[in-house]
Amino acid sequence: MRNLLDFFLKYHHWFLFILLEVISFGLLFRFNNYQGSVCFTSANWLSGTIYEISAGVTSYFHLKSVNEELMERNIYLEQQILALREAYMEATCDTSRVEEIRHSVLKDFTILKADVIHNSINRTDNYVTLNKGETDGIYPEMGVIDGNGVVGIVYLTSSRFSIVIPVLNSKSNISCKVKNSDYFGYLKWDGEDSRYTYLMDLPRHSVCEKGDTIVTSGFTSIFPAGMMVGTAEEITDSHDGLSYLVKVKLSTDFGKLNDVWVISRNDAMEQRGLEQKIGK
Amino acid sequence: MAVIFFKRLGWFWLLVLLQALVLNHVHLLGCAMPFLYVYLILTLNVNTSRKALLLWGFFLGLTVDIFSDTPGMNAAATTFLAFMRPSLLTLFAPRDCSDDMEPGIGSMGEWLFFRYILAGVVLHHTVLLAMEAFSFFDFGFLLLEILSSSLLTVFCVMAVEGICKK
Repeated sequence: MRNLLDFFLKYHHWFLFILLEVISFGLLFRFNNYQGSVCFTSANWLSGTIYEISAGVTSYFHLKSVNEELMERNIYLEQQILALREAYMEATCDTSRVEEIRHSVLKDFTILKADVIHNSINRTDNYVTLNKGETDGIYPEMGVIDGNGVVGIVYLTSSRFSIVIPVLNSKSNISCKVKNSDYFGYLKWDGEDSRYTYLMDLPRHSVCEKGDTIVTSGFTSIFPAGMMVGTAEEITDSHDGLSYLVKVKLSTDFGKLNDVWVISRNDAMEQRGLEQKIGK
Repeated sequence: MAVIFFKRLGWFWLLVLLQALVLNHVHLLGCAMPFLYVYLILTLNVNTSRKALLLWGFFLGLTVDIFSDTPGMNAAATTFLAFMRPSLLTLFAPRDCSDDMEPGIGSMGEWLFFRYILAGVVLHHTVLLAMEAFSFFDFGFLLLEILSSSLLTVFCVMAVEGICKK
């Protein structure tokens, strides 16, 4: 007994070391499927507040380029609307229908604006932290976009902050298709270049060329169909040769992510409920 | 005693904030990342007990983890470094050092301190980056990452040491 006690006293730092390592690995492996782990991420109030202050300062540095981008996008959209409206008027001579279309586009979706307060692009599993959380109506599995394209999907939420799994994360898995065709695949990042990602499992008989636009498919309840993701850069065969592997140049610049929109479909709960019933 | 504790706590937060707000965004040539916060563990007094070392290491790593959304990774690596530190010191510390020596250029000399830091940093980075590479295993790239990040961290540590302890 005495010897045993001596042994424990002599090597107590070994036990402390093993205990601390076990806690660390516990955190590492449980983070993937444990919603309560939100307090060990940058969405807890202390780190969230510090990042919010820092983002408040640094966002000023990007204002000029953000503004220019918005201007360009605005001009482009205005021209498009004008052209479409004219074409529609010529075709139907009906003005009330134009108003109706405008309202119906976003009828099913609620859009919430949020600021990025923390973002990384150089890890294999990147996360984006937003300054809005459950009190603002943001819950896990909502889609996140910015002015240029898709950003990712909300993963964890605390009352004031939320964490997004962006496209640049090995866990990200967004269903996408080639614009103007109905063949779809899913996006997977290889962990290397933050400007490119890959579209996997695109059927071999589909038609896809360099420069084609890749958009969301709209099959899941997260994103509406047709949200811009990027353009096809290179088309190769997948490793097993059964499908195409498309290298996609992302339209979102993750290096200067700043203002984003969180979109939630109003009947998403209903669709998810149905899908879960099938799963059981 | 309390003064030393609060001085360490000050360093703790300074290094964590520096790591979270500045150094986490540094990614030289796509592979080198500095992890300057290990400076705190490497320069704690020689007479710090092993238990205190381990706890400082664990909480330092955990706080950095919280800020960079990598729960457990930095904590595990830094605890490991804290655990190995006494053995590293017996390897590199000069024979005639006093009991309350603080490892540094002043007390160890530039060359010994450099070797000591390099060994500690390589240990820490090997554990940390190997854990991060779990999902995409590319041995050559991992090795390159460990080497380049270690060099960058050692450079940062020597710079901080040069500025603060001259």
